[in-house]
Amino acid sequence: MADVAATPRYHRRRWRNRLATALSIGAAAFGLTWLVLILLVLVVKGMGGLSLAVFTEMTPPPGGTGGLLNPIIGSLILTMLAVLFGTPLGMLAGTYMAEYGRYSKLTMVVRFINDILLSAPSIVVGLFVYEIMVAQMGHFSAWAGAVALAIIVIPVVVRTTEDMLLLVPNTQREASAALGVPQWLVIRHIAYRAARAGIITGVLLAVARITGETAPLLFTALNNQFFSWNLNAPMASLPVIIFQFALSPYADWQQLAWTGALLITAAVLGLSILARALSAKKVQL
Amino acid sequence: MIMDAAIAGKEFSLVRADAQRAKTLRRFRIGDTTFKTITQISAITVLALLAGVIAALVHGSLPAWRAFGLDFLITEKWNPVTEKFGALAPIYGTIVTSTIAMIIGVPISLGIAIFLTEICPERLKRTIGTAIELLAGIPSIIYGIWGLFVFAPWFQAHVQPFLIDTFADVPVLNQLFAGPPYGIGMLTAGLILAVMVLPFITSITREVFDTVPPVLKEAAYGIGCTRWEVLRRVVIPFTRVGIIGGVMLGLGRALGETMAVTFVIGNAHKIFPSILAPGTTISAAIANEFTEATGDLYTASLIALGLILFFITFVVLAAARLMLMRMTLKEGK
Amino acid sequence: MSLAIQTEVKEAPETPAEIAALEPKVSVRRLNFYYGAYRALADNNVELYKNKVTAFIGPSGCGKSTLLRILNRIYDLYPNQRAEGEVLLDGENILNPKQDVNLLRAKVGMVFQKPTPFPMTIYDNIAFGVRLYEQLPKSELDARVEDSLRRGALWDEVKDKLDASGLSLSGGQQQRLCIARTVAIRPEVILLDEPCSALDPISTAKIEELIDVLKQDYTIAIVTHNMQQAARTSDFTAFMYLGELVEFDETTKIFTNPRQQRTQDYITGRFG
Repeated sequence: MADVAATPRYHRRRWRNRLATALSIGAAAFGLTWLVLILLVLVVKGMGGLSLAVFTEMTPPPGGTGGLLNPIIGSLILTMLAVLFGTPLGMLAGTYMAEYGRYSKLTMVVRFINDILLSAPSIVVGLFVYEIMVAQMGHFSAWAGAVALAIIVIPVVVRTTEDMLLLVPNTQREASAALGVPQWLVIRHIAYRAARAGIITGVLLAVARITGETAPLLFTALNNQFFSWNLNAPMASLPVIIFQFALSPYADWQQLAWTGALLITAAVLGLSILARALSAKKVQL
Repeated sequence: MIMDAAIAGKEFSLVRADAQRAKTLRRFRIGDTTFKTITQISAITVLALLAGVIAALVHGSLPAWRAFGLDFLITEKWNPVTEKFGALAPIYGTIVTSTIAMIIGVPISLGIAIFLTEICPERLKRTIGTAIELLAGIPSIIYGIWGLFVFAPWFQAHVQPFLIDTFADVPVLNQLFAGPPYGIGMLTAGLILAVMVLPFITSITREVFDTVPPVLKEAAYGIGCTRWEVLRRVVIPFTRVGIIGGVMLGLGRALGETMAVTFVIGNAHKIFPSILAPGTTISAAIANEFTEATGDLYTASLIALGLILFFITFVVLAAARLMLMRMTLKEGK
Repeated sequence: MSLAIQTEVKEAPETPAEIAALEPKVSVRRLNFYYGAYRALADNNVELYKNKVTAFIGPSGCGKSTLLRILNRIYDLYPNQRAEGEVLLDGENILNPKQDVNLLRAKVGMVFQKPTPFPMTIYDNIAFGVRLYEQLPKSELDARVEDSLRRGALWDEVKDKLDASGLSLSGGQQQRLCIARTVAIRPEVILLDEPCSALDPISTAKIEELIDVLKQDYTIAIVTHNMQQAARTSDFTAFMYLGELVEFDETTKIFTNPRQQRTQDYITGRFG
């Protein structure tokens, strides 16, 4: 057998391999370093302004002291409403695609369109809701903001619901159909029960997604300097406040922007981790 | 005998059972029809959403189209005072920043994906992999403020002067990298975008790499291929379509990004030859100007920008999905 | 002419006169079945006699499961599959589009090859089907669950753990749970699609004993690729090959003196 190691060709191959490996490790290190750096800066700068006041006081005028109470509450309200509007619609659509319409053309088209909506620019969603709600109603409102966020929630929930329901094995469906159970009860008692954890995970991921969304709120819910429960009026939200404060020339506003950014990131990461933990303990079949 | 004789003799009223059964069957039929209709309507609503978005954008932007016609797409001037608007600068900015993001971001993403699937030791793989997935979820506004307060000043002080000096005497490139070093600008925005799409493209590429059947790779290793050769000759050709699909998805994301870009783009409705200069993108222009837009034509022009953006991203995303669909078909799903 | 089969073939108690007097519970007439354009079953004719066990045997792909799945129209769940011909249950054609499939499936139960307990407690697995059709007070429901579990030869093993998950049982127990679940809704016909092929020999033996008892109250059809099982458990046997129903007769006749050459070849192991 020829001595493979000795040929110059083999040396070249090994050298190329080493170079590729080095480049790849380098790329990983480079990319990850930037990402870690961003997180570090965020934590350091954000913690700098973290205090109880952030959670208890309203946003201040420039130069004053204050907190982020109204944007925090506003974000919570908008998120809850968005989930309330978007989840049932998304689940029902996903149910049609996985159950009644599994082999239909409508499902194929909806799946395609849904995937596009999933990655569509969120600022366009904001413009859409502006046209159909704000322009019609004559004013900005929390309702409009919630609808804009709901439109972002829907594709996520549709996709997750369909995927999770498709994972339920057909043997379970056949076994219940063989008992004479009608399709809607098969779905309710068997399919939903089995896919429950996955669907909840999907909702959590959708919430994580809209927690940081700014663009759709810019011209729907707008902003509010003051604390308000009025859903028919503009409502403050963390992302929009961060946008406003960060671009301002005032140092204390900028500090609040960093702290707000830290809060958002913590919420998003927390939800994502929760979602992963849930999907790891799937309901066994 | 396996059956317990004790239960023999228990009778269930058959007549009652039949009457109940008929009622139940009727309930089943109604339930099925109702539920099926509700779910079907919900599915159609998704389509209606898309149609609605297009309709709303077209309707809202009509005044602009009527006033400027298709020239809107090639006019650079953007003057709210004289009410003359043109989309060229935002379109240019959108394309250039996204291109920069792709040029920088894709090779690094591929490198990370290759590292994770082939090189990374098992113990680290899950941690780093999860870290990347979590980082993909960081809202873009975070990248925006980081870019404005941390990256731009550093870039302005250390990198931009270096770039300007290095290319000062090189023809063509000295136009591309001309000063002054603003810190913010097209290049900065492109770089921020690159960092933003990194986790996204990496995780898609990883998924795509994982679809390669292990036997295929083993066969290549088995005849003595080095890792790089397996990648180049087996993995990448096998997943080529999926990678392109993933990259295009990332491109779609980058094109539509608002917050990461708005903070650092400089908001100048002009096209400068230098990428170190400020500019604007479609989403940045809308985000910055919409709430202050006075006059129907101004608003309509901004909505027209939105329509253009939607059209561009729709085409890119649709192409990406089609490619990814072809890949899953090949996989035999 | 006896064939060298190592199996106990059941005694044939029926005289020709008695057989002629048997009522067919299910009659299959000129049945054709298509997957898309592909014809899987060609002109099948067979009868399932009341309170008797009919076995369907034949090599892989001969269509025996396909035929069984027509008898409760479970194929309806999938597009591109259609049946032509007549399948009469008590004289009514169940292939009629106007037939209510849920009602049909309440009358004709099915147990599948792979045990499929629902992700619920043992009690709920049984009660699920019952609750759908009948509003029973708790005491009656309890009694029904117990009755079904006894009929499924499972009561003694689970009576103390009715709240345990159905998935916590062994394979053989799960399959008996599925049988109990099926009888709970008082069907008239029970279809068994290779019920023991995923089970160990002891569980298999238990289920075969069970079939012998069940036939006193139900009409049973069983698909099996195990000839000895067919010989042990059934009164009548149908041999199928490549979508055709080649021969249908009393089990003893099929295994000792079949009329068709193909049947004989299969029985003696000429092909599998």
